[in-house]
Amino acid sequence: MSTSELPRKEANVLKGHEGAVLAARFNSDGNYCLSCGKDRTIRLWNPHRGIHIKTYKSHGREVRDVHVTPDNSKLCSCGGDRQIFYWDVSTGRVIRKFRGHDGEVNAVKFNEYASVVVSAGYDRSLRAWDCRSHSTEPIQIIDSFLDTVMSVCLTKTEIIGGSVDGTVRTFDIRIGREISDDLGQPVNCISLSNDNNCILANCLDSTLRLLDRSTGELLQEYKGHACKSYKMDCCLTNSDAHVTGGSEDGSIFFWDLVDASVVSKFRAHSSVVTSVSYHPKDNCMITSSVDGTVRVWKT
Amino acid sequence: MDSDEEDYVFFGTPIEREEEITSRRKQAAAEASGNLRSLPPWKQEVRDEEGRRRFHGAFTGGFSAGYFNTVGTKEGWAPQSFTSSRKNRAEVKQQSIFNFLDEDEKAELEGTLGTSSQFDTFGFTAAEFARKQADKEQKQRPSAIPGPVPDELVLPASESIGVKLLLKMGWRHGRAIKDSRASSLYDARREARKAFLAFASEDVKAPYPANEPDEEPESFMTQPVDNDTQSSKSLPAFVCNPKQDLHGLGYDPFKHAPEFREKKRLHLSNDKQHGYRKAISIKDSLFGSKSGKAAPGFGIGALEEYDAEDEDIYGAGYDFEETCVEEDEEPSRLSIESKQSSRLSIESKQKVVAKDQGVLPGFKVASVSDYQLERFDPPIIPKDFVPHHKFPGPLETLKKLDVPSPPEVPPPDDSNLKLLIEGVAKLVTRCGKLFEDLSRKKNQSNPLFSFLSGGDGHDYYERRLWEEHQKLGDQAKLSLDGKHSPSARKMTAEGRGKLLGEKPLERSSKKTTSSSIASREFQLQFNLSDTFKKPDSFSKLPEVAKPFKDDPAKQERFEQFLKEKYEGGLRSSGYSSASNMAEAARAREKLDFEAAAEVLEKGKWGKESMVSTQPLDFLAARMQFTSGGLEQVKDTHAEDLVTKEKYPRREEFQWRPLPVLCKRFDLIDPFMGKPPPAPRARSKIDSLLFIPDSVKDAKPEEDAITSRDVPAAQTGAQKTIEAAEEEIEIVAENVERPVDLYKAIFSDDSDEDVEDTNTKKVEDPEKKIEVATTTLNRLIAGDFLESLGKELGFEVPPDTPYSTNKANSSAQIETPNSDAGITKVGTVEGHGTFCAPNVGTGTSLNPEQETTQGGESPKNESIPGKPVRYSSKHTDGLSENISGKVNADKFPPEDKKVRSPSSRRRNWSSSSSSEDERSRKHSRRHRYRSSDSYSDSSSDDRERYHSRSKGKRKRSSREKSSSSRKHSKHHKHRSRDSPSRSHHGSEREHSESKEEKRKRRN
Repeated sequence: MSTSELPRKEANVLKGHEGAVLAARFNSDGNYCLSCGKDRTIRLWNPHRGIHIKTYKSHGREVRDVHVTPDNSKLCSCGGDRQIFYWDVSTGRVIRKFRGHDGEVNAVKFNEYASVVVSAGYDRSLRAWDCRSHSTEPIQIIDSFLDTVMSVCLTKTEIIGGSVDGTVRTFDIRIGREISDDLGQPVNCISLSNDNNCILANCLDSTLRLLDRSTGELLQEYKGHACKSYKMDCCLTNSDAHVTGGSEDGSIFFWDLVDASVVSKFRAHSSVVTSVSYHPKDNCMITSSVDGTVRVWKT
Repeated sequence: MDSDEEDYVFFGTPIEREEEITSRRKQAAAEASGNLRSLPPWKQEVRDEEGRRRFHGAFTGGFSAGYFNTVGTKEGWAPQSFTSSRKNRAEVKQQSIFNFLDEDEKAELEGTLGTSSQFDTFGFTAAEFARKQADKEQKQRPSAIPGPVPDELVLPASESIGVKLLLKMGWRHGRAIKDSRASSLYDARREARKAFLAFASEDVKAPYPANEPDEEPESFMTQPVDNDTQSSKSLPAFVCNPKQDLHGLGYDPFKHAPEFREKKRLHLSNDKQHGYRKAISIKDSLFGSKSGKAAPGFGIGALEEYDAEDEDIYGAGYDFEETCVEEDEEPSRLSIESKQSSRLSIESKQKVVAKDQGVLPGFKVASVSDYQLERFDPPIIPKDFVPHHKFPGPLETLKKLDVPSPPEVPPPDDSNLKLLIEGVAKLVTRCGKLFEDLSRKKNQSNPLFSFLSGGDGHDYYERRLWEEHQKLGDQAKLSLDGKHSPSARKMTAEGRGKLLGEKPLERSSKKTTSSSIASREFQLQFNLSDTFKKPDSFSKLPEVAKPFKDDPAKQERFEQFLKEKYEGGLRSSGYSSASNMAEAARAREKLDFEAAAEVLEKGKWGKESMVSTQPLDFLAARMQFTSGGLEQVKDTHAEDLVTKEKYPRREEFQWRPLPVLCKRFDLIDPFMGKPPPAPRARSKIDSLLFIPDSVKDAKPEEDAITSRDVPAAQTGAQKTIEAAEEEIEIVAENVERPVDLYKAIFSDDSDEDVEDTNTKKVEDPEKKIEVATTTLNRLIAGDFLESLGKELGFEVPPDTPYSTNKANSSAQIETPNSDAGITKVGTVEGHGTFCAPNVGTGTSLNPEQETTQGGESPKNESIPGKPVRYSSKHTDGLSENISGKVNADKFPPEDKKVRSPSSRRRNWSSSSSSEDERSRKHSRRHRYRSSDSYSDSSSDDRERYHSRSKGKRKRSSREKSSSSRKHSKHHKHRSRDSPSRSHHGSEREHSESKEEKRKRRN
């Protein structure tokens, strides 16, 4: 993908959230997106047409993360109220609430089969919750982190968590191992490359770090943006050719994956860019910001 | 029965049959739902829940009714259906007295309470009047729909059907439909007034219909909504205003900013006094009231005169928006309406303002927005902030730069005093005025320090102080100026000098008469050396370069030392302020400095060059014997610098996913079949004893992984290939043979062949037999116990440690602490391995051995097992040479077969885990070094020397870690000692390879 094909044109602005939008996520096929924010709501949008479809309200505090199952039937969300909500997408009802975290929950993810929700919390733990049984107890608590767990990623066989203690820990269920990669800097957000071979970690020293998962090697560092005090997302483009992330001044950065040069940089929001999410297939991206908007970017 | 029946005489009613009861029940249900309700009370029949008419005695109430004479059911009183308070809040039911009154009582009350509202002619009439006016106005008003749509086509319904019905039922306008309230009088009046006002303001605006669509809805719509009871009140006259502004439907620009409404009103009332007056005058004429003093509180009623009371009452509850005449929505109309210059000016102003984007017409962008969200950022920590207290000297010096210099004073004769003064001055500049005060107070009685309080040498002190300030200020300024553009300053000679890093030489116009030659020389030298700024290398590493920060004097000396060391130039015979130190102390200090400088240098180079952990250790060691102790923060910082290169670091731990998780992820549980992890131990001893088996079972895998960390660099490895191969065969053999415990116990025939294969390795048969028999006994007992326990589902506690094991573990525990020991970690590791062959050829050293072989032969039980370990090690280490697959293939079955006697292994692993714990931190910190230390050679001697050289360090770190471990929580144990296991594996590997060599030699 050449630089010109980067999504740099604003296609739509999704307005509706009152207050900061904390996360924006495409669904698995990229036709819809979800956003959640300080106004305690989750909103479902059609980003391509700029339509607000549904609002999910139940959270008692800000919603920090949301994730949707591959079949688009269920949502999970988490936030400041220490609970994980398991929603039915179409009815907008909460199917289950998972309580157990002792602090705010920073991130949630479904596993591949949408049978488990894994959440990352301020209580230094990752917790796995069973969506199939009626139990609201976590089926596994991983508490080897030394500080707040900020982000979680799942593969088919692994649970990966990034923590403020500077580690990215991979829990391999198949072999029962925990692999800890200490980056030395608080990790804000982790995201997997599309080939699942690398982890991109957004560190609080304003650096994105690309790790090779098999060896734990630091492949590249991406700098230039400001990320010092906010939880900000980062991700790779769907072709894994570029790395993208927001900045605290409201701009979006694109780096070349290999030589770490800033390929593109433009001001997207008037305030901190909290989240970026790249379309799984097209050259399209959504970003959310503290300024209360979600913007859709296309080529 | 039939024949019998005739014999009996029946009294009372016969007991009804089941069918009848059910049919009755049905009937009752039908009745209950149907016509029975409509029956008058005296005709209704009393039935119980079954639908029966049951008589239970006249004295107890006749027929039983309902459920045991209650209105409840079997479940009790049918509760109100639960409504979640989260989604729809339970409505707060406002109870009134009417809820508790009977009909007649209500009627009674109605009379008393109702009078005022019923006979309140004013409220009614006012409302009526308002309505009529509104109607009239509705007709008068130009059509809301622009264009040629005839009004006749769109006629508003004059009276809705509901109103008509109500009227037929005797309801009148201005009267509540529901029950009247105490407040109804007031409300009615208020409604009426509102209606009037609405109408009145409408009237005013009628000529220029720039009315208040944004306010009208509020005044009329919101009120019914906010109060349930209000809606039942008489409807106010509703005047529909055509929408004439550019806002969206129902949009109220002041919805979230009601204060602006007020502001706007004030603004208008100030600026457009005239228009406002006019509005009032129109109203006045309308209501026939000539009183001009009623400011906003007009429109009380057509039939009322203004008086003070009215103004008082309605001043408070009055909403300003109703009087607010909004001309500004349509400035052009305004200008047409009135040609007043003031208005025109306003208009023009508005137009200007309206040009600003996103600003409502008539508004200005506030220079200071009070609507902005106030956010309190965390305080920004300045870059040069050091997290330990420092007297605010530098800041002061910056301020004092402008202070005129005190006259130059020759230094006092006494060189000692002079040095003292200089030292103190320097300190004071560094540490701030506070230091001066402190030392003054402290040394009040000391005649030497009299210069502080204006005594001898005070002038000189002043001068020195000023100079020092100057010096410091220059430095600070320079560093500051580096950020600003240099062109902003005017370039003076001084400035240029500053830029070039020069220090203005002190004028040597000192009266040489008073100063001794020696001191002058010193002075000159001192100045010269000061002329040069600190080298860049030091400014780059300001944190690291100040290892003695807590002792400023010492730090100063240290800096001086560094300067001299690296900058060359003239040397003074002694340090400026250390001159009063003892020779021995100075020597010691110099050594310290030398060492610290080395550390710094290394730390500096560590950034670019290879990472070495040496400085860290060194610093850590230094910290112990420098007087004040080094700043901990500095240390970590230095560590950061050095270890920066190390990131990212990878570590591997044991982690056990729970079966459910594996199931949900559709994976095979790697720990399938293994006993669940023990519940969290309550004490440390427990945790040591009850290490879950799963941890050990996964060891082969672990080793496989650690082999990556520890490259197969064993020198002897090549030689052992054959041995390893043959051992693998043995392994295979062993593995294939199922450990049939009972067979092993009760039949001795298999002893012979096993013995044959291994006899050469037995070195002390007698001893062996002895130990072996005891172990066998244990085995039998233990296995019975365990198998029993397994059947019953119990966790069998582990056996007490074997004698050798005890020795091992105790030795392991003791050595780190005992100074008499060989004081090295190598021995700690090697100890067990060395003693094991002597004591019992590993009967219990390697419980795994005996468990594989355990029951088969009392003599050889442990020996064949040993190769199992070796093979695992060697194949791991030589994964390239020997197919690792053999290993991989063999191990899982081995694991499974061996599992049953696993409780015995616990013992061994407990000791190892304690060692793990101790070595954990060590292994973490010295990861890099440890890897090469462990892998460089497997020869005993080299290993020994190697580890001896590091023994001290290791020990200290070990002690630290073990002590810290004690305080750590137990639930962390599992995760904590797991990381070390991998390292431990490598350690063990070594010890075992050594052991093996030893055996081969034998």
